[in-house]
Amino acid sequence: MTQTRSPLARAVIYAVLVVFTIYNVLPFCWTILNSLKLPKDANARTPRFLFQPTGEHYADLWLNMRPEDFAPYGLALLLIIFALVVIVFYAGRLPVPNSLIYAGVAAAGLALLLGLPRVVNTAEFYDYLVNSVIVTIGTLAVSLSFGALAGYGLARYRHVISVVILVLALAFRSLPSLALVLPFYYLGQLSGLYDTHILLILCLVAVNQPFTIWMLRSFFMEIPREIEEAAMIDGAGRLRSFVSVIVPIMGPGIITTGLFTLLLAYNDFLLARILTQINWTLPVGIAQWTGGEDPGHITLAAAGSVSVTLPILVVIIFFQKYLIRGLASGAVKG
Amino acid sequence: MPTRAFTFFVAPSLIIMLALMTLPLLASVVLGMHYITFRNLDAPQWVGLQNYEQALADPEFWDSLEFTLIFIAATVPTRIALGLIFALLLDQVKRFRGVFIAAALVPFVMTPVVGTLIFRDMFDRGGPYWYWMQQLFDYRLFMNSTTVPLLIIFHNIWTATPFAMIVLFAGLQTLPQESLEAARVDGASWLRQLWHVAIPHLRSLFVFIALISIMDAYRVFDSVFVLTQQNPIFDAETIMYYNFQVALSFGRLGKANAMSILTVIGIFVVLIPFLVMTYREQVEEV
Repeated sequence: MTQTRSPLARAVIYAVLVVFTIYNVLPFCWTILNSLKLPKDANARTPRFLFQPTGEHYADLWLNMRPEDFAPYGLALLLIIFALVVIVFYAGRLPVPNSLIYAGVAAAGLALLLGLPRVVNTAEFYDYLVNSVIVTIGTLAVSLSFGALAGYGLARYRHVISVVILVLALAFRSLPSLALVLPFYYLGQLSGLYDTHILLILCLVAVNQPFTIWMLRSFFMEIPREIEEAAMIDGAGRLRSFVSVIVPIMGPGIITTGLFTLLLAYNDFLLARILTQINWTLPVGIAQWTGGEDPGHITLAAAGSVSVTLPILVVIIFFQKYLIRGLASGAVKG
Repeated sequence: MPTRAFTFFVAPSLIIMLALMTLPLLASVVLGMHYITFRNLDAPQWVGLQNYEQALADPEFWDSLEFTLIFIAATVPTRIALGLIFALLLDQVKRFRGVFIAAALVPFVMTPVVGTLIFRDMFDRGGPYWYWMQQLFDYRLFMNSTTVPLLIIFHNIWTATPFAMIVLFAGLQTLPQESLEAARVDGASWLRQLWHVAIPHLRSLFVFIALISIMDAYRVFDSVFVLTQQNPIFDAETIMYYNFQVALSFGRLGKANAMSILTVIGIFVVLIPFLVMTYREQVEEV
């Protein structure tokens, strides 16, 4: 829509957005402060904004070795990550196809994630991270591809059966999570897949599928049919016109849906708690410090929460660029 | 779209949902008709609709339903309105968009198990909000039956507004440029563009957000659990929280399952207007 040119209006808009931002991030900032405090500072009677910071909670969380011994490896790790980020950033200027570079960087990142425990003595929390990454990527891939197909089909097939499927999906989604606990647990035991990544991924996909298909359907409803009809006249099949014409236009919708699917999978506590025994994910690992009276728990929970939230924020900052770029280029004609 | 193509597109999604979600739904229906506690797990006793009768005759059930409905009425319109306002503001700016978007998502991204706990600690005695209110306004915040329900509402708005904002912002970016051009050529003001082009265009997204928000609000549990610290004195029980109590504190598993089914039915009753809208949208040819 038209952007206002009035400097006063722009100043007010920015001011409101800044206030909104502060209000949004304040609790997270407080968590960061808590994660750097000694338990006696974190549990003080009045809030302490100045204190002697300590990194020991992060070391306890991630390492089974002395931080001094870890320092050289940590430095190397930071350098490798920095190099990968630089490569991604300048991918467009290198004489190699972009997709190849992204695939290479992704493979290198995965190798780094899985290989690190062989070099460094990491704590259990690191294993939870690995589990979380596998489960989240798996859920995202399955959920989005199934969901995009179904969402598109539902948006285009105007028939009562579509309504029936949509309502059925709502019925599944409105089921309280309490009702899922026992059936899923027995399902895991009976299938022999209890405590495996596959079962957790399948259950997360099933639970999130109603959300995914409803959201993608809403986005697909906004695309004029003429676009894919034009592609079909060109002789492309329905699946091909979907992949080559619709998916690119729907970039923002698919990335937005993907973002929320990723968060739902990454932050899920209940399903991971019932379906795993030792292969915990991060939220389950953190939850062990959220109850009880031990004063040291609040700082550990804070350090854990900061450790798992920051990477996701980086991913979001990275993807919003695509969100906005997709919009500028893919603006729908119609 | 021909039926065969439709079947092909919908099959994977439908199969995985049916395979994994039918069992819990059926289990709730069946278990809801039995008398089961932790003591007779192996030999549940068939009681027909008795659990439903008991739940519906239970004043606590109606109390918790009342608070749940108040909660929905307070949070859902607020988050949609705030989401639209901030999506429109975000649409007005170019610089720092990424920062604003990432910051708005922080409450949603933060591990919920910790996020809610920190949120409570900030308002509780010794927390920064509590401290600032005391220092700046000389107001001592106590956790009581007025403030705790308000905090639960406030917490929900804090975590859920970003969802509405991002979805509507993404929707604003797919506005048909030609309709906007036409409106601009006609000299339509920003407000008219909003009313005649943007809002009609975003209709299915509004319906979607309302659906999801109402469902989630109806089933709110975690924040109630953490913010009330399971203390009944705050008078802030929601349906899900009461359901949890019936299952785990009172051990009435059959009745809890019956209440789960009542929840599904309750959600559908609240959703009827949106379902009618979806039906029209889906069946009528555009």
